Amino acid sequence: MPENLIETRDLIKRYGDKVAVNKVSFDVHAGEVFGFLGPNGAGKTTTLKMIVGLLQPTSGTVKVAGYDVQTQSRLAKASCGYVPDTPNLYAKLTGRELLRFVADLYDLDRDQAARRADELLRMFELTSAAEDTVDSYSHGMQQKASLAAALMHDPRVLVLDEPTVGLDPKSARLIKDILRQLADRGAAVMLSTHILEIAERMCDRIGIIDKGQLVAVGTMDELRTLDKTGQTSLEDIFLSLTGGTEETEIAEVLK
Amino acid sequence: MKFINSSLRPASNNAASAGILSSVWKLLRLRLQIIYNGFRRAKLRTKIRIVFVWVFLLGLAYFILSASRWLLSLVHSPEFAQYAGIDLRSILASIPALTLSALFIGTVLTSFGVLLQALYLSGDMDFLLATPVPIRAVFIAKLLQAVLPNFALFSLFGIPMLFGLGISNGYHISYYPLVILLMIFLALAASGISSLLVMLVVRVLPPRRAVEILGFIGAMFAFLCSQTGNLANSFGRNINFSGTRIAGLLVLSNTRWLPLNWAGQGLVALGEGRWLSGILLAGATLGFSTVVFWFALITAQRLYYSGWAGMQVVARKKRMPSARTPYTNRTSTGLVGFLPKPVLAILQKDFLTLRRDLRSLSQLISPIIFGAIYTLVLLRRGGEPPAGSGEAPNWFMDSFRIVLAYGNIGMSLFVGWMLLSRLAGMGFSQEGRNYWMLKVSPIRVWHLLASKFLVAYLPTLGLGFLFLSVISILQGLSILEFVYSFIAIVMCLAGMAGILLSFGVAGANFTWEDPRRMNSGMMGCFGQILTIIYLPLSFGLFIAPLGFAQLLEFPLVYGYLAGLILGSIFAVGSAFVPLWLVRRRVEQLGVG
Repeated sequence: MPENLIETRDLIKRYGDKVAVNKVSFDVHAGEVFGFLGPNGAGKTTTLKMIVGLLQPTSGTVKVAGYDVQTQSRLAKASCGYVPDTPNLYAKLTGRELLRFVADLYDLDRDQAARRADELLRMFELTSAAEDTVDSYSHGMQQKASLAAALMHDPRVLVLDEPTVGLDPKSARLIKDILRQLADRGAAVMLSTHILEIAERMCDRIGIIDKGQLVAVGTMDELRTLDKTGQTSLEDIFLSLTGGTEETEIAEVLK
Repeated sequence: MKFINSSLRPASNNAASAGILSSVWKLLRLRLQIIYNGFRRAKLRTKIRIVFVWVFLLGLAYFILSASRWLLSLVHSPEFAQYAGIDLRSILASIPALTLSALFIGTVLTSFGVLLQALYLSGDMDFLLATPVPIRAVFIAKLLQAVLPNFALFSLFGIPMLFGLGISNGYHISYYPLVILLMIFLALAASGISSLLVMLVVRVLPPRRAVEILGFIGAMFAFLCSQTGNLANSFGRNINFSGTRIAGLLVLSNTRWLPLNWAGQGLVALGEGRWLSGILLAGATLGFSTVVFWFALITAQRLYYSGWAGMQVVARKKRMPSARTPYTNRTSTGLVGFLPKPVLAILQKDFLTLRRDLRSLSQLISPIIFGAIYTLVLLRRGGEPPAGSGEAPNWFMDSFRIVLAYGNIGMSLFVGWMLLSRLAGMGFSQEGRNYWMLKVSPIRVWHLLASKFLVAYLPTLGLGFLFLSVISILQGLSILEFVYSFIAIVMCLAGMAGILLSFGVAGANFTWEDPRRMNSGMMGCFGQILTIIYLPLSFGLFIAPLGFAQLLEFPLVYGYLAGLILGSIFAVGSAFVPLWLVRRRVEQLGVG
């Protein structure tokens, strides 16, 4: 049985009367890529932020690498890397300075950190821009810098919110390959995405959240068995589980 | 389900053939709608404040009209002319030219920043240019948008003054509409020139960098203007600005060789019934303004649309990693080597970002300029107490000298307070939207607090030391006085940093876009009020025992010892207790 590196139990997040996440429970195992899908406003980002300790759950528990994010937050955070949907990075630091800063926050050995930074900058093709400040980077470069920062401390758990948005096909492919390699080396990778093709190809298991509730979790085969309409593609399964048939009708009208 | 009705589809021909004026009106109406919505959805308190400001401004305009009318009538009296001994007619005749020139130059300067935002940073240009609205209409709307707020503000002061001049001089009725017409045309021409300047600047600098530089220059200019009084008091005593000299300068500036003066001179000529010269000068101004506005509009539009302005010609200097100090070992030696890595990382990061972000730097430089000005004032005044009639006993003069010396050291603490208010008070808020990076990292609360404390404390201590050294040299302080003062500064600033940082934690704001709007809410204000009380109290605990020792004729060393103990306990307590109180709050920062 693979180790659970992310565990959520009855996770609830309320904003006043609005329930953004409602009793969400799932596990992400070591060595797997877990896709987290859902329509806009379904609660994906809220769930991810609770996992990485950016949002306090109203109730329920989250464990990362076996540590409770609420009570053992430093240990949990030390095991986790996070790439947000919008790469808000320190605009006035250079790419290299940003990576050094992150390495120091995680208390990494300076020499190792320097080598790791060089390696990551080279891997993400940021070496030529390494001495430029982040505010001169394009969105895609900032996204790559954000991912490089998340990988600096070689985390056991990597949480990514829409990691391929704004990336060119080459960079998107690179990121997919890196995530796969990380998982193959025993890390747990959890990513949210709107691109179902990515989820279908990359993810070992998929969770679908709708209106704050987890409506399905499993491998592609398990999801197919869940869907009573006999759909085979993830897009059809997703639309049938999240009530997306209305959108199909709209698309028909637009034709 | 049908949700798109074919009748709702835009009639492409209608949209494309829409006139420029109607399109401009549509765009301006949108802006008015946004302003109206902002007012409608504002809190009641904000609404009342806006209404109050407008009523106040209208009242002020009426006051300016009445005052200028009354004052200018007074100036006309023969008694005043005899008293002043200068030619008042030529001075009065130069007022319209000066006012309109000020409007023109002011509009060029103020529109620059607004246009830079509106054309390159507002984000709606792409949207507007993709719609079937004439591109020229978009540019006219943007220029009007840039010029209108400042024009309205200037009109509030300029129109009543010029109308007051007209009434007091009994000018012809044609003077009044022409005042408004010329102001509008000059403002439009100025905004056109501004748009071209924006294109030129953006050709050289990225728009965001240009905004930063503009903000920095603006802040420095405003601060220097605010401190002009201090400098003038100290250095301006020998400069004699007589009325005759000012009158001479005004008349000299109203030369016909400057086209900017034509509008004002034309207005005066028309007002006085000199029709030919009036029509020629005013007409020339209207004509030139129209040509300048239209030329600038077409050129700016072409430069923008062709992408000329967006292609920066000045290549940015590439930073190279320094071979001398490989970053792996940098700052890991010496005193800072004892600091935990996360603390050191935040220190380095904050110093780098503060130094590189000109908008933040302008906030930090203000206290340094203030300190420099005060030092200059001190330099001129010397450090000796006034001798009076020479009858005061020696012990009184000695005590007076001590009070004066330590009073100036207290002043250096005030300069430190200004710097700390920014660095400590906004230590957390300055993280802004990047705070998530600290939040997701495994950094201890005390490390975070320590790093923010040091980021605020170390530069302030440096500034305090510098200030103290200058004062010590100027006032000839003894080594003992210098060392004691330095300890007092070290302690007092530490306490102040602790208090301000704690209030900064309580009122942290991570959602700002402009660093000048970082400080939201009342917490920063409370922190500043509390430290204003803390500062004399804390410094007083260091200084008062010296006075008591002098008064009671005890050896001064007892005074120093008592001051050190009392002052240090109070300062250290002030540094740690508030931070200890907010430690839980730090854990909650950035957590929704």
